Amino acid sequence: MKKLFGLLITFALGLVIILALDNTVNFPRFGEVNLSERISGLYLSETNVEEVGSANLVTSIVLGFRTFDTLGEVTVLFISSLGVAFILGGTKQKRLDLKFKPNFMLRVGSNILLVIILITSFYIILHGHLSPGGGFPGGAMIASSVLLLYLADDRFRSNIKGFKVLEGVAGSLFVVIGLLGLVFATAFFANYLPTGIIGNLLSAGIIPILYVLVGLKVGSEIAGIIDNFLTEEEEEIA
Amino acid sequence: MTIVSYIFLIIGAMFFLLGGLGVLRMPDTFNRIQAGTKATTLGAFSIVIGVIFGSVENHLDWIPKLIIIIVFIAISSPIGSSTIAKATYRSKNIPDNLVQDDFKKRGENQ
Repeated sequence: MKKLFGLLITFALGLVIILALDNTVNFPRFGEVNLSERISGLYLSETNVEEVGSANLVTSIVLGFRTFDTLGEVTVLFISSLGVAFILGGTKQKRLDLKFKPNFMLRVGSNILLVIILITSFYIILHGHLSPGGGFPGGAMIASSVLLLYLADDRFRSNIKGFKVLEGVAGSLFVVIGLLGLVFATAFFANYLPTGIIGNLLSAGIIPILYVLVGLKVGSEIAGIIDNFLTEEEEEIA
Repeated sequence: MTIVSYIFLIIGAMFFLLGGLGVLRMPDTFNRIQAGTKATTLGAFSIVIGVIFGSVENHLDWIPKLIIIIVFIAISSPIGSSTIAKATYRSKNIPDNLVQDDFKKRGENQ
């Protein structure tokens, strides 16, 4: 009976998928979409790309046309890190005791690897408006380097207060830069700096600045989450 | 120059193939670590060197990035394999036909 039921559900789902992916009005074939009646056509038209000045189209949408949504994403991450800190955080914390100690080679080697990971992450953040990547993946890479240090050294504690300050400053500057758009241009998060030549490192107006801030914020937030997971409250000695 | 790059790419692909076969065919964890990290490290080196030779003509700016990739693989892969080996030793998942056990001799249980 259970197997029959599963089979029935599988067939129903398959039928739904086949009907949905059929060559209908709702789901045209790849490359045959008429973009002129959709909003994405507006984003992809050449005049708008020149207006934003970002060589990476995804970035021109994420931080050019839909920066307000990105502010929402940053807020979601902030709330999740706040929730983890609320449940797992504490005033006096120490590292969790590991059963085995990491060996010497891992401890020293991870410090060398840290440099390369940080170089790559900052490269990805700074080239967010030119190539795939940007603030969110670059920030996750910064956090992964912090995680490497935590796992490779059982006594390591990152300067978590510094991370919290960095997170707050980056998040506030993100909003402040958006508010300056109301002063120098017409709208919240309007691109008021000169866009320059498409493809140069210094181009696309406020987009690189915003991405650096997003990267720093995401990196410090996830580093804070990692710290909360790998520490425990110190027992008070009465 | 392109032919040299192709030769290096093929050598790298061969090492990856042998490493994958070794992971499938080797009998226990320690031998699989050998196949999975040593062979693929050399394979990755060959492929990146092949890309370096291929990018000499048109993309000179790729070469520093590729050298950084080589340094990363050269450090991360041996450290990873040694850590996996030590974790295997600690988990007591040691094959019966082990000939020499230096850790036991040193009295080190970490």
